[in-house]
Amino acid sequence: MEILKKWFKAGYDGIFEGTSKNMRIALYVLIVLSILFGIFAIQILFWGLGYTDMDNNFAWGAWIIGDLGLVALGGGAFTTGYLLYIFRVDKLRPIINSTVLIGFMCYLFTFVFLLFDLGQPLRAWFGFAYPNWGQGVYPVSMLTEVFFCLSLYFCILVVELIPTVLEHKVLIKNKYVAMVAHYMHLLMWTMAAGGTFLSFFHQGSLGGGMWGVLYAKTVWYAPHFFFMAVVAAMAGGTSFMTLVPYIAGKIMKKEVVPMETYQILTRISGFIFIFYFIFRSYDIYAAVYKYAPMGGREFIDMWGGYYGIWMLVLEMLLFAGPLIFLNIKKYREQEKFMVIGASCGVGAIVVSKLSVLLHGFSAPNFPWKGFTAYGPTFQEWIITFGVFALMILIYMAFVKWFPLFPHLEHNEHDAHH
Amino acid sequence: MKEKVKEVKMKRRWGMAIDLDKCTGCGKCSVACNQENNMPIFEDDSDVPKRVAFLELMKVTNDRDAKFPDVKTAYLPKMCQMCEGNDPKNPNPPCVSVCPAVATDVGDDGVVSQIWSRCIGCRYCQTACPYEARVFNWWKPEYEGSFKKSLSTDVSVASRGTVVKCTFCSHIWKRERDAATAKGILDINAVLYTPACAGTCPTGAIVFGDLNDHDSEVYKLTQTDRAVRLTNPVDDVKDADKKKSLLKAKQFTNPKVYYLTSQQWLRDMMRFKKNS
Ligand code: SF4
Ligand code: SF4
Repeated sequence: MEILKKWFKAGYDGIFEGTSKNMRIALYVLIVLSILFGIFAIQILFWGLGYTDMDNNFAWGAWIIGDLGLVALGGGAFTTGYLLYIFRVDKLRPIINSTVLIGFMCYLFTFVFLLFDLGQPLRAWFGFAYPNWGQGVYPVSMLTEVFFCLSLYFCILVVELIPTVLEHKVLIKNKYVAMVAHYMHLLMWTMAAGGTFLSFFHQGSLGGGMWGVLYAKTVWYAPHFFFMAVVAAMAGGTSFMTLVPYIAGKIMKKEVVPMETYQILTRISGFIFIFYFIFRSYDIYAAVYKYAPMGGREFIDMWGGYYGIWMLVLEMLLFAGPLIFLNIKKYREQEKFMVIGASCGVGAIVVSKLSVLLHGFSAPNFPWKGFTAYGPTFQEWIITFGVFALMILIYMAFVKWFPLFPHLEHNEHDAHH
Repeated sequence: MKEKVKEVKMKRRWGMAIDLDKCTGCGKCSVACNQENNMPIFEDDSDVPKRVAFLELMKVTNDRDAKFPDVKTAYLPKMCQMCEGNDPKNPNPPCVSVCPAVATDVGDDGVVSQIWSRCIGCRYCQTACPYEARVFNWWKPEYEGSFKKSLSTDVSVASRGTVVKCTFCSHIWKRERDAATAKGILDINAVLYTPACAGTCPTGAIVFGDLNDHDSEVYKLTQTDRAVRLTNPVDDVKDADKKKSLLKAKQFTNPKVYYLTSQQWLRDMMRFKKNS
């Protein structure tokens, strides 16, 4: 008992020592959310999905939105890795550790969400054991592709993350650890290349192709959806990768990443957003004039309901942020506009994913049925936000104990001398 | 004798014709289906969107707010439509290609099968199905009272967290074939069968049979002007060239379940043409 008390105290001090009051409250909230997550996770995994508001018509809900969002935003990891290791944009180095960590968590928790969404989580390995691959090189089922690409890419992210862990100030003192970390850094470009290749496919499949191939569902059917999702991930992901360390830096009141790095990344993000905007405009055009009539429906009929046109309008408004503020130098160089631009970019991507899912399921399949609505139950909310809380906690832990921001270490190092 | 079995080619392509003008909405088909396929029976089954049933008896009205004499109603028994895709020789139902675990497949008799014990419950097939024909076991199946004693031994009871669907009562065909085999008849095409819903309909609205057999009643019914398939827009295109290019551009469901009706409003409703 005494020992437990001691441990608890040590742990408590380790986490809370030297934190401000606000920080402490935030930490309490995050920890409570994580504990609730654990409790309801047991309920869902043992007693089934009946406790959610999903039903036979609204077959997927909050967690798939989480998946789509996490994977799209985590896509910034492969874009940044590619730019740094293949294109040698060396100014991105200060941000790469943070980027890899975010990517790692996005994919880790995508797995968690996916597992919750399976009716039979214990059969998850069937996806590998009995894949729906068909005859060709490319799998028949988009989900098979997601299973394989996601797992492989996750392995790559683990490898990319290892040097950050090895460079922990205690570990790196060991000669061998230092050597391994050094060589891993040198070989990282192979990982970046492999990661980009894999990422390209699962971004496309989970983000868009998965919906685009549903030829019988006119709300979703769009063969180009696959490619659009890749562009969306590159655009939104890079914005997201800027925002997270920026916010962390604001909270820590330190310059964790030099402004120059943010500038490069947001500039790239803004540039890709131009392409994404054009692509998305074409997408809407094609939906209205090509795919809706092909499916015997009218676009405007389909886009009514609770999650209809307004979401599209909101998305378009949010587009203005990255398009203007991230592309015009005058604005981008002001911190305020840069942040607004990146936030709007992330917002646009999230809204587009929300609307794909909510609207797609809400639109009626039969003319005599109306639009349906979906209201996640308490369990769904808790599991969704619990995952986000866990992600924030892990990020905070890395900021505290691992060399996530080399820039910061350098500065502190210099200050010592 | 083994070689003989190998040589036999599947001739059947099962299909259905449902006469909506005959259907009274009595719901016997749905009850028979539930009984035949071991559908769970909960004490409280009022949560309709989560209910487990293969056959849904849909009530169709021309306009919810319409008053007598303008209001029109029909009942539409809806089960899996056994979609075929554009090419009957190479069937491609929307739900089959998406399954990551090959838990659902389409047989050479055209029936879209589903193996509950292989399904991981991802519900991608449900998302892909435009006819809401697939249902998920949101709860552990239960059988109130003494219902458990009447379970059919030909259909496995699904576990919680798996997707199930209508299989045109394929197990009945298997049973008939087994009986024929016992008599020494090894031809897979030797016997026909009747699914539970078709066998029980008191007005004879549901006709089941082989669409490849042009002498069969079901085939003849599907060729009449009264036949219409549920929300399959390519059927509306009369111009042959246009139809061809449309089929080339995109897959369509092309179900093997046909509905028969002479009521124009109902035909329009089934086509997403609400206002005519
Ligand atoms: S729910 Fe089952 S049958 Fe449907 S796609 Fe997933 S694994 Fe396949
Ligand atoms: S009706 Fe649905 S379940 Fe049946 S074959 Fe078509 S898509 Fe598949």
